[in-house]
Amino acid sequence: MSSPSMTEKYAGLQGKAEEVWKVTWIKRGRGIIGTIFYYLVILSLAFVFIYPLLYMVSKSLMRPEDVADATIQWIPKEFSLRNYSIALKEINFWPGLLNSSIISFGSAFLQVISCSIVGYGFARYRFPGQALFLAMVVFTFLVPPQTIVVPLFTFFLDLGWVNTHLPFVVPALLGHGLKGSLFVLIFIQFYRTLPNVLEEAARIDGAGAFRTYWMIMFPLAKPAMLVVFLFSVVWHWNDLFEPNMYLLVPEYFNLAQNMAFFNGNANLELQQAASSVSTGTLGMAPTLQNQIMAGVMLTILPVLILYMFTQRYFVESVERSGIAGE
Amino acid sequence: MGKKLGLSMRGRHIFEGYSFISIWIIGFLLFMVIPLGKSLYFSLNNLESSKEGLKASYAGLTHYRAAFTTDVDFVPLLQSTVTTMLSQVPLILIFAMFSALLLNRHFPGRTLFRGIFFLPVIIASGAILRELLEQGAAQLPIFYQYDLFSKLNAFIPEDILEPLLEYADSLTLVMWDSGVQILIFIAGLQTISPALYEAARCDGATKWESFWKITFPMIMPMLFVNTLYSVVNSFTKTDNQIMNHIMNNVFKSNNYAYGSAMGWIYFIVISVVLAIVFFIFRKSLSATEGRG
Repeated sequence: MSSPSMTEKYAGLQGKAEEVWKVTWIKRGRGIIGTIFYYLVILSLAFVFIYPLLYMVSKSLMRPEDVADATIQWIPKEFSLRNYSIALKEINFWPGLLNSSIISFGSAFLQVISCSIVGYGFARYRFPGQALFLAMVVFTFLVPPQTIVVPLFTFFLDLGWVNTHLPFVVPALLGHGLKGSLFVLIFIQFYRTLPNVLEEAARIDGAGAFRTYWMIMFPLAKPAMLVVFLFSVVWHWNDLFEPNMYLLVPEYFNLAQNMAFFNGNANLELQQAASSVSTGTLGMAPTLQNQIMAGVMLTILPVLILYMFTQRYFVESVERSGIAGE
Repeated sequence: MGKKLGLSMRGRHIFEGYSFISIWIIGFLLFMVIPLGKSLYFSLNNLESSKEGLKASYAGLTHYRAAFTTDVDFVPLLQSTVTTMLSQVPLILIFAMFSALLLNRHFPGRTLFRGIFFLPVIIASGAILRELLEQGAAQLPIFYQYDLFSKLNAFIPEDILEPLLEYADSLTLVMWDSGVQILIFIAGLQTISPALYEAARCDGATKWESFWKITFPMIMPMLFVNTLYSVVNSFTKTDNQIMNHIMNNVFKSNNYAYGSAMGWIYFIVISVVLAIVFFIFRKSLSATEGRG
């Protein structure tokens, strides 16, 4: 009596076990398909982001013969740095690099310090008119530079600051400059997330307001500092608008300006070449493009290297810096 | 310091607060208030440069009127700038949100992919992007290499297909413009407590439901910040045509007064757009604030 039921029960159990197995396999299969799909999507998006960079590197390394060769799409037969050596001269690389570095790193350094001080003041103190000033910080961010560019230019002209680095450095020192108000907002957000206890301890131990800030709170703001510093360097580096306003003599041009200048000249040459086809200069066009690509590579290479080294920390910092706002 | 000045605790607190933001206030006066006032003054006057500097004579709203009546370029450029903004900002927001959700999962290679997705922040701002665009590097080859247009034309009528493909073409640009927005969304997603999702799962919510009921309301503030940022960014980009038009008027034809007037009109247009954005988000923002 009991043995058949036992076998029945056993068979039933086995069936159930098989079912469970099936379900987990289906689930797992779905998981694998999902993962594959997920990676496909993210890889293709990543490709779109990397594509221009690959394109530039590939084109900049080609020789004129490779450009004419239809069989070559991406990898040149022989890597040549000739485009780079030409571009190096054309974009006036070393003086441009020096000017760009002074403007970018100088302004970024000053903005980190000044914007963090201002951000701390907004985040930790309550004073009459605070809401108004905070609204003004946002307002500053919203005003298009075109609206105030004329008076600013005449102002700097009167001061004799045109063709110096002062129009970049002085606003940065006062918590303004390129996107300065955005940086102030980032620091405000960050300092709001820090606990009050540390400052209270320092104040009880007799440190003054500024000393407390400088010794205790400022060093804690490293994540926000890194984000602001990197943004500031990169935006100053790539900016063409302000340098075009305040730097009018070629010897003070930054890299972006030199590059734009080179590109403009090259385009002019291209047009001339196109209009005088009979002289047989048609081969010029693609080569010139490659030189421009090499120039662009040289222009962004310094920030690209900076980003490669700080990328890891940058991404982590963004998560911790409270950049997201409220 | 406060004791020497004979201030109360409260007074000292206020004094310290002001001393922290004092440098910003000085900068605000020098680089914002005074230039803004001056440019308003310029825009309302006729300017003539003489030996003593600029000579002004009151002209009223002539320059503002001129922008709409005599200038053939200004109004079309303004229109195209606004329409570009309207078509691109929603796309940027959707794409940035999508990417942030993708990148927010834990998977091997996450740091690498995040590094790649933030690449646009590093290289795509300013002059460099323009170079790339001129060289056609920012457009993906699939659209012209495989003759997509004539192939798709067999299925879709031309009237619909053409704008659609143009849209797809501008999509790469949209992606390149959304670096900072992805960053802000990721930072926002990080602040959502995992416990909320767990609770929703226990109650039998699907992923789709928990996105709309938890994720979306929770990152509403970031959506607001991103909308503001995208709108401002789109209006002040370097390849913006209005901007070039103003600069040409100011520096090529030395028309300071007219340039300032256009700058003010542009500023007013931006303010109106931003006010609309504020209005749209007002309801949803107050809802999340009440809950928090």
